[in-house]
Amino acid sequence: MSASFLFRRLVYGLILMLGVVVLNFLLIRLAPGDPAMVIAGEMGGGDQALLDAIRTQYGLDRPLLTQLGIYLGNVLRGDLGQSYFFNQPVATLIGNRIGPTILLVLSAQVLSILLGVFLGVIAARKPNGALSGFVSVVATVGYAVPVFWTGIMLIILFASVFPIFPVEGMQSVRLRGAGFWVKAVDIAHHLVLPAFTLALIYLAQYARLSRASMLEVLGSDYIRTARAKGASERAVLFKHALRNASLPILTVAGLQFGNLISGALLVETVFNWPGMGRLAFESILRRDYPTILGVLFFASAMVVVANLLTDLSYRLADPRLRGKT
Amino acid sequence: MSALLEIQNLRVTFNTRHGPVTALDSVSLQVNAGETLGVVGESGCGKSITALSVMGLIPSPPGRIAGGAIRLAGEDLTRVSEARMRALRGAEMAMIFQEPMTSLNPVFTVGDQIAEAIMLHQKVGHAQAFRDAVALLDRVGIPSPERRARDYPHQLSGGMRQRVMIAMAVSCRPKVLIADEPTTALDVTVQAQIFDLLNEIQRDFGAAIILITHDMGAISEMADRVAVMYAGRVIEQASADDVLDHPQHPYTRGLISCIPALGKGDTELREIPGVVPPLHMLGAGCAFAERCAHRFDRCDTEKPSLVDHGHHPAACHAVEEGRI
Repeated sequence: MSASFLFRRLVYGLILMLGVVVLNFLLIRLAPGDPAMVIAGEMGGGDQALLDAIRTQYGLDRPLLTQLGIYLGNVLRGDLGQSYFFNQPVATLIGNRIGPTILLVLSAQVLSILLGVFLGVIAARKPNGALSGFVSVVATVGYAVPVFWTGIMLIILFASVFPIFPVEGMQSVRLRGAGFWVKAVDIAHHLVLPAFTLALIYLAQYARLSRASMLEVLGSDYIRTARAKGASERAVLFKHALRNASLPILTVAGLQFGNLISGALLVETVFNWPGMGRLAFESILRRDYPTILGVLFFASAMVVVANLLTDLSYRLADPRLRGKT
Repeated sequence: MSALLEIQNLRVTFNTRHGPVTALDSVSLQVNAGETLGVVGESGCGKSITALSVMGLIPSPPGRIAGGAIRLAGEDLTRVSEARMRALRGAEMAMIFQEPMTSLNPVFTVGDQIAEAIMLHQKVGHAQAFRDAVALLDRVGIPSPERRARDYPHQLSGGMRQRVMIAMAVSCRPKVLIADEPTTALDVTVQAQIFDLLNEIQRDFGAAIILITHDMGAISEMADRVAVMYAGRVIEQASADDVLDHPQHPYTRGLISCIPALGKGDTELREIPGVVPPLHMLGAGCAFAERCAHRFDRCDTEKPSLVDHGHHPAACHAVEEGRI
């Protein structure tokens, strides 16, 4: 892996982020709704003078391009602005909530890839077998079911029928002040349902994709060579075939990361998970522009980083790509 | 003394959309230690299926060994467990494939792929196996083997990759080495080098080689004995000299007349008219009858069996009745 490749990708990433910031800013302003009205409404309603005062206070009375220039300048200095609603720096608000979101998104990503690929591989072993059919059905259903429905069904199931997983929040209140490991286990316990809900739809995709990819690879000459060496069926599947079949899976995993973050928004709302998703949801309702833009900024940054990592892991998995730009 | 590898009346069937077809029909072959058996025929004659049957690598389903025996040093491979087959594959018998470009795994270094074969059958660690792999690469004539062992297949030429395949195949000193069209994908100068290498390897290791080819020229260079196959049956079998100098079956004669000879003023490449019939279309008679210049009424009604009609065994009614 060359340093120049890494450097070039980082520069591309930064340029991309700049474009994303500009586009986000303009898109939000194109959407209907007026933050001054919302703020005035929260204050118990008001007259034109109050609205004007609010607009002046937040700089909303200036031309759009001037506002964009000021915002861009602030972002470049690392200042994402002040939330209209919380009256706190946006960076602080997001800083408090980005951890739970990253935890949820990464858990769902790992869960869906591991479980999905495993199901896909064993389904590919006997493509006409019963297990393969079962995986196909689960994959189709998992793909078709909307994420909020799965979430609500799981809440109903585990809140009333089998109350073994907590269905709300990220930590138990009564454990305040407990030791690190106790808290970690408690968070993991709370994580199970939201992570599974978010993972389900992607798990289905990975299962289908890895089944198809494995079937293609298993027909290739080098698999026959591996068998002719006397390699065991497990080594043939998980060493010789999976490494080659993983290339399309990696590509999709990178592309899915953005969808996963938008999925997290719904899952966080359903499970009352204290992450960025709920912050985004609330901020949109309140027309809290700086907060929405801040959330979008971080979400975009996560996607850009995820794509960079995908590119790197692709090169790690396929030696034929190394040395290429 | 019985042969090292002995195939007796092997019958292999495949389930196809045309119903079950017989890919191999009472095929019998023997090969002794240190000997090279050439198996010749056009594409679709059953040469590769024979090789894959020995290795236990017939894709199943749809393929199935329906009868006969394959004895390696007396042990019937059609009856042993899959675990036993895995222990034999790569150790007692190894195979070199036709396509060096696609037969190596693209995501592992060639050194690791050879080392894997060694570690599967010998109790050595990776470091030792990798050192052995480097020594094998040196043995098969790859320059700077230390460095090449760390290369991936796409960094090597076709000839080099075939050398890697050979190194992998002989890494555990197998008793039987099956080479399935090992030079088809390579250019002519490289072909000669690979044949020289196979001959040297055989001298060093004393392996029996089964060389599968459609090229009579390769047979004349490599083989001690020859079996000619057509449509899933052996139709002529003898020493290489006998087959080349006194071919009996019209098909064998055809194959030999296809070898272009230098200096004889031939301007055209000859060929046998027609193609091998699809296996589901085989009738009651001789499978070669359609393409045969010596065909007579008996050829359409009765399958000829492999019998010695004076010189050496050939499956042909015309030879039997002295018509050729």
